[in-house]
Amino acid sequence: MIPRMTMKALLLATAVAMTGLAAQAETLRVAMSSDPLSLDPIATSDNGSIWTQLLIFDTLIRPDRTGEGLEPGLAESWTVSEDGLTLTFKLRDAKFSDGTPVTAEDVQFSIARAASEASGWGRFYRPITGFQIMNDHEIVMTLAEPFTPAFNNLALFAAAILPKAQVEAKGEAFFEAPVGSGPFVLKAWNRGSKIELEKNPHYWQEGKPHVDAAVLEIVTEPSARVIKLEAGEVDIALDPPLNQLEALDAKDGISVGQTIPYRADFVQLNTTKKPFDDERVRQALNLAVDKEALVQGVLYGAGKPAASAMPVMAYADPDLTPYAYDPARAKELLAEAGYAGGFEAQLVVDSGAATSRNAAIALQAMLQQVGVKLKVQMLEGGTQWETTKAGNYEMSVSYTTSDTIDPDQIIGFVGVNPERANAYHTEWRSDRLNELYAAERKALDGPERGEMFQEMVQILHDGAPYIFLYHPASAWAVKDGVKGFEVLPTSNFRLEEVSIEN
Amino acid sequence: MILAILKRLLMLVPVLIGITLLSFLLLQIMPGDPASRAMGTRASAEELQAMRELWGLDKPLWVQYLYFLRDCLTGSFGVSIFHKQPIITLVAERLPYTLAIVAYSTVIALVIALPFAILAAANRGRLADVAIRQVFVVLIAVPPFWLCYVLILGLALGMGWFPTGGVGEGLLENLHRLFLPSLVVGLSTAALIQQSLRAALIDTMQADYIDTARAKGLRRREVFLRHVLPNSLISTISIIGVRISWIIGGTVVVEKIFSAPGLGSLLIDAIVSRDLPVIRGLTVFFAIMVVLVNLITDICYALADPRVRLE
Repeated sequence: MIPRMTMKALLLATAVAMTGLAAQAETLRVAMSSDPLSLDPIATSDNGSIWTQLLIFDTLIRPDRTGEGLEPGLAESWTVSEDGLTLTFKLRDAKFSDGTPVTAEDVQFSIARAASEASGWGRFYRPITGFQIMNDHEIVMTLAEPFTPAFNNLALFAAAILPKAQVEAKGEAFFEAPVGSGPFVLKAWNRGSKIELEKNPHYWQEGKPHVDAAVLEIVTEPSARVIKLEAGEVDIALDPPLNQLEALDAKDGISVGQTIPYRADFVQLNTTKKPFDDERVRQALNLAVDKEALVQGVLYGAGKPAASAMPVMAYADPDLTPYAYDPARAKELLAEAGYAGGFEAQLVVDSGAATSRNAAIALQAMLQQVGVKLKVQMLEGGTQWETTKAGNYEMSVSYTTSDTIDPDQIIGFVGVNPERANAYHTEWRSDRLNELYAAERKALDGPERGEMFQEMVQILHDGAPYIFLYHPASAWAVKDGVKGFEVLPTSNFRLEEVSIEN
Repeated sequence: MILAILKRLLMLVPVLIGITLLSFLLLQIMPGDPASRAMGTRASAEELQAMRELWGLDKPLWVQYLYFLRDCLTGSFGVSIFHKQPIITLVAERLPYTLAIVAYSTVIALVIALPFAILAAANRGRLADVAIRQVFVVLIAVPPFWLCYVLILGLALGMGWFPTGGVGEGLLENLHRLFLPSLVVGLSTAALIQQSLRAALIDTMQADYIDTARAKGLRRREVFLRHVLPNSLISTISIIGVRISWIIGGTVVVEKIFSAPGLGSLLIDAIVSRDLPVIRGLTVFFAIMVVLVNLITDICYALADPRVRLE
């Protein structure tokens, strides 16, 4: 007799069978927002590339899980000389995924490559001017003059250690099938669709990765990532839409998490233009914005108000609080500056960034209360970037993220003028801050250097060349049974720590 | 006929030269510089300049244009700044999915549109006609992103009949996976075809030669299949031609929601990152596709209607 099965029962049976299979193979499936552009660490700066590279390659040292310190990577120990000019690294017995050992030669080759002309990160490594290979497992790097961030920069993905012989032999083609000493090996890359990774059998951290394989599925649409998780097609969904977090968490079999990465959102104020040349006006704008409301309304609670344009990271002053929401005081300051009747200004915003767009509209309403009328102009991201860079703007919604765990990179970018971007195109300038910046880069890492950062951030806070908005959280959602997943403050994630329990 | 096709192909040359020139110049006007896009917040002016030199963006415009022409002629269409791959390789990786959606959605559209167009034409002005028309008007008006999510929530997540997106290996799996995205694209094509085919059928049915055919004793069915339908298909062919040209590069929304790596999303991603060679190369590639599709459409006209001559 043939049992009559309903469609639903049949499907259920299939689903059960498929879950069973997945458990046996222990493949971790992750829905990720963007496809890597390239797996060459010195050529990229997009998240998709960085996250994938960090699963395949290793660095000498790496940020720890808290993001506040460094922990051993391929180097099991290191010393920095008193004058900061000599860095000595002892390598552990690690192997690349093809079984060849990681040697000091490879280290020298990789760092020199990261400092080369072809590198997008050259400035981070050029201060290292000399290499001395003591033996296969020991290398000394020397600097011509003190540059404290140099050490920290070695923890960046761009300083990933590559097998010299293979990169030299294969050139660009190496990165199509890269060999690294990281936890996973690239098995297949179906561009725009998925990246298949396998456990690296030679990985130096014993017992890791816990899973046998991992698949990074490229799903651009945030809602589609969540749907994939709900359908059981993936185990982890990165960056679900923030407004769905609560509902997701309430669902059976799914839990969400969030972390605040090194990111700060703000509105750039062009201080070469009136009325933004007046510090009182800039402070008034900061006082007129209800940041708590922005966090609730724009980020759906996933984030916290910002006190400055610096991400909250190493040496951050815990006592520095955001500008209070005080429209009355804002009006007073505006009146003092001669703008009792308010003024009109144009605010440019990236039309492709939903959060920034919503923030712009909220700002329009908030600033209206103190008589400031904003005209919001939506620009395509690249155009906005060029517009602010050329100084053809009054106000612009933007943000910054830190690539390293050392605050040097971002303070140089958002606070120092003249520098790369002249305080991120605000053209604001503080001589004291510039002085501290120069000193900090030569000072030995420690509490004294920390105080310099705190003072710089305080000056930035008071000078207010930006309207400081918030630090948005990075969220994720996982299926029950997925243990050990988290997004680190550096925005990447360690799949080698993740296990699937049923 | 073959001579006519060759002549048409020859006429492509000036068109394509025009397109290369236009796509090249328009990109020069577009604000945004790949170096500063790539290096983001960390680059100094010197570093940006070094990067531009590395990518050949510092060369005089006419030199860059000649390189671009050379790349088009050699068939690589240039090399992506960020992917570091020849553009033809990037296209080849994604073209199968795009072509699959083109073919699949067209079949779906015809399967849906033909019977309803015939039904509506046969019942002109009656309830069935009005009802069908309303439904198809809604289909034209519905935004594709909405339809995508409704189908995903209903058929994929709800009923579990389809995966929620992505592509797989092998023909059968991809037929299954690409069904929903093809359905979304196919439904709006179907709506367009249904409306125009219905009108064409009604028109043809009133033609004198149909009366003649009836008068010489052909049965309704034969009259319809041999005379009415073929003579009404011209408009359908042109709609399909136009739609195919559009689908090749224009289904970004559907591609993104269903995570199907098609050519549309490749173009959009290139625009966002200012990967100039990819934008230009793809523009020329799309132009070639459009011209070819138009040519094929014209050939189909000639096949469907002996009065049409390829000139």
